[in-house]
Amino acid sequence: MTALTSHLKLLEAESIHIFREAAAQFRTPVLLYSIGKDSTVLLHLARKAFWPAKPPFPLLHVDTTWKFREMIAFRDRMVKELGLDLIVHTNHDGLARGMNPFDHPPSVYTDIMKTQALRQALDAGGFDAAFGGARRDEEASRAKERVFSFRAAGHRWDPRLQRPEMWQLLNGRLGKGETVRIFPLSNWTEADVWRYITLEKLDVVPLYFAAERQVVERDGQLLMVDDERMRLLPGEAPQTRKVRFRTLGCYPLTAAVESDAADLDAVVTETLEARVSERAGRLIDHDQAGAMEMKKREGYF
Amino acid sequence: MTLAALEETQSVAPAARTGDKSEPMLRLLTCGSVDDGKSTLIGRLLWDAAGVTDDQRAAILNASHNRAVNGERIDFSLLLDGLVAEREQGITIDIAWRYFETARRRFVIIDSPGHEQYTRNMATGASHADIAILLVDARHGVKRQTRRHAAICNLLGIKKVIVAVNKMDQIDWSEERYRAIEADFAALAGNFEFAEVTTIPVAALTGANVVARSPEMSWYDGPTLLEYLERVDPKVETEDAPFRLPVQLVLRASGDFRGYAGTVTSGAISVGDRVVDARSGLGTTLRRIATMDGDRKTASRGDAVTLVLDTDLDISRGAVLSEVKRRPVNADVIEARLVWLSEKPFDPEAGYLLRTATDLTPVTSMSVSALVDFETLASTPAHECGVNDIADCRILLGRPTSLDLFRDLPLTGNFVLVNAVDGSTVAGGVIAWVQTGAAAVGENVLVLDRARLAGLCADLGNSPEDKAEFDRRAQEVAILLRSAGVPVLIETDQ
Repeated sequence: MTALTSHLKLLEAESIHIFREAAAQFRTPVLLYSIGKDSTVLLHLARKAFWPAKPPFPLLHVDTTWKFREMIAFRDRMVKELGLDLIVHTNHDGLARGMNPFDHPPSVYTDIMKTQALRQALDAGGFDAAFGGARRDEEASRAKERVFSFRAAGHRWDPRLQRPEMWQLLNGRLGKGETVRIFPLSNWTEADVWRYITLEKLDVVPLYFAAERQVVERDGQLLMVDDERMRLLPGEAPQTRKVRFRTLGCYPLTAAVESDAADLDAVVTETLEARVSERAGRLIDHDQAGAMEMKKREGYF
Repeated sequence: MTLAALEETQSVAPAARTGDKSEPMLRLLTCGSVDDGKSTLIGRLLWDAAGVTDDQRAAILNASHNRAVNGERIDFSLLLDGLVAEREQGITIDIAWRYFETARRRFVIIDSPGHEQYTRNMATGASHADIAILLVDARHGVKRQTRRHAAICNLLGIKKVIVAVNKMDQIDWSEERYRAIEADFAALAGNFEFAEVTTIPVAALTGANVVARSPEMSWYDGPTLLEYLERVDPKVETEDAPFRLPVQLVLRASGDFRGYAGTVTSGAISVGDRVVDARSGLGTTLRRIATMDGDRKTASRGDAVTLVLDTDLDISRGAVLSEVKRRPVNADVIEARLVWLSEKPFDPEAGYLLRTATDLTPVTSMSVSALVDFETLASTPAHECGVNDIADCRILLGRPTSLDLFRDLPLTGNFVLVNAVDGSTVAGGVIAWVQTGAAAVGENVLVLDRARLAGLCADLGNSPEDKAEFDRRAQEVAILLRSAGVPVLIETDQ
C-alpha cells in the first residue's frame, strides 16, 4: 500500500477517473510523453488507471533533436522497462530548413519544431485525443483550461468557445473535425507533483537533481552546454556550477538554477520555498505577452 | 491571523514534505457582478497569503503601471485574468483555477466571470465548488446578477456561501450601510437551501479583513475572510450514504482477469459484500478490489478502483453497481431542473443525449415546463428556454438508465445534455424526480437503426469512422422526422 496523503490520494483518483473516461470515449488516444516530471507522473497514473492491463494507447514524444542527452537516455530506458509503445516524431521538414534554437527566435523555433511537429504527428497517427501533462498552476492561460480541451480542425484552441465542464461529467463527444487534448493533471501543483514522485518513489531524469554541470551565464540565465552544438557568444566560457533544472525542454532554451538539492527530499523542500515560478526558466514563454495562449491557439498542447 | 504570523507559518514545517494538512482541501468559488472586484479580491488573497511567486509579483507590478484602472495601486486582478482578451477588456471571461496553501489548508480558487453573458461559465465553476464567495459592491448593494449567482449556486448544490461586502473603503467603512446589505441578502437567502450564510465586510484594494483585520472597522468582530476559509467545513455526505460505483470500463487482462473499473461516487463497499446492477437487477458478491498498489479490503467515496465479482454480471460501461437495499432507480422518465449553457436555445426537434455518471442515453423527447425566477425561485409556465436560463423540464429516454435524485446523491443524480449532432454540451441539470417504465418507447416510436437506414447508408461499413458517419446521418434524419411530429429513437451499435 502507498503512503500517500489524503490530498494526493484525491488527486490520484481524479486523474485515474479522467484517464478511464478518455479511454472509454475516444477511439485512438495517445499520451504526449515529454520525459519530464509531469510526464513521469502522467505515465504512472495511466498505468494505475488500467492495471492489470497496459495503458490502451501508445506514447508520443515530439523530439526537436535539441533535448538534453540524459532525457533521451531516460526515455528509452523507461519505455523498455515498462514494455510500452513509443512513437518518436521530429519535424524533418523544419530540420531541413535549418531550424535551430540559435538562429531563430524562440517563438518561431517552438512553433515549427514543437507546435507544427505535434500537429504533424497527431494527424499522421489519426489520433482523436492526446493526453498532456499540463497543469493549471503553470501559467495564466493554462489556468483557464478544461480537462477535455477541444480543438477545432487544424488543432486551433478558441478560449472563448470552451465546452462547459460540470461536476465529474466529461463529455467526449466530438463534432466533425474536432480533436481533444486531455489534461489529467489539471488540478495538480508543482509541489503536488514532487510530493507524489517522492512518496511513490518514481524515477526521474537526473537533471532535476543538483550536480556539477558545464554552464554559461547569458542574460542572467544559466544555460547548460550539453553537447558540442552549443554556440558560445564572444567572451563566453563554460564554467562548472552546481545546478539543477525545474523544468526540462530543449537545452539551449532551458535555464538551470543554482542549487544544492541533490535528492528528492531536498528538491521538494526547495520547491516549497521557491519564490520564482517554474516556467521562469523557460525562455520560450517570455518572448511576448500572452505567449502561451498564442502557442495554444496554434495547436501547442 | 496577521500577515506577519502568516509569513512565519510559511517557512517549511515538518509536515510540508508530504504536504499533510489539518484541514481537508477547500474548493472555493468566487462570483459577483461585473466590477464588484472579484479578481481583485482573489488577487489580494493570493498576494497577502503568499500564493504569488517573485517573478509573478514583478510581472504584476510592471503590468500595473501600464493600466491606470486602479490609479497608483497594484492591479491584483492581473493575477487572475489570464486570456489576452480579458486583459485587454479588463474583464473575466472564463473561469480561472488558482491553487494556494496555508499552514492549515490547501485551497482551490475557482474564479468565475461576473458578466451576464458568461453566466454559463460561472455555472461550470459552481459545479466544482464546496463553498462560494458572493461579492457585493458596498456602494450598490445586492444586484440582479448577485441574485442570479446565488440561485445557480443553490441549484448546483452549494450549501455554504460567504457574502463579501467589498469596497467598504468607498463608503467610509459605514456599518449602517453594511448591515442593510447583510439584511437584504438574508431575506434573499431565505428562498434558498443554503445551510450557512456568512457576511464579511472587506476592502480588496486595501486588504481590509481579507487576511489582516481592518482597524477601520472595529465595529466588526467576526472572522476575516482567510480566518473563515481556513476553518469552514467543506460539504460532506452523510456517513451511511448508499454505495454507488458507475462502471467506466471493463478491464481484461491475462489470467482471465475481468474487472469493472470506476470511481466510488458515494458510500463504501467491502470484499464479500453483495452488489447489484440496478439495470438488470442481477446481483453477486464482491470478490476483489484490485489496484496496482495491491488488493484492498474496502473502497469508499472518491476511490478509483477495479471491482472483481464472483460471477460475471455481463455488464458494461454505463451500468451502476450499487448495494442491494438502496438501489438507484432504473428510470426512463426524468424531471429535472437545468441551467441552459448553449447559445442555441432549446429546440424540441433537435437530437439530444443525456450524459450521466458514465452513461450516454438517447433522449426520445424533451419538453420545458417552466422557467425559474432568479429572485423568488418561483416557476412560471414556459415551453422555451435559452442561454443562462434556469428551467424545469421533462425528459423521456430511449432506454432506462440507473439514476438517483440529486438531493440524495449528487454524483449519480446530475447530468449534462449533449447535442447529438455537434457534440456540444448544451445544459447541465439536476434530477428532481424519476419514473420507471413509463416512457413512450413503443409502437409510436420510429426506431432508426442500420436496417431502417440501409438505403441511405449503403456506402457505410463497420469501421469506427463509418459508424460515426451513420450516427451523424441518423441524427440528421431524426431532426427531420421530429419536425414532422414523429417520435424517433436512434439505435447505434457502437
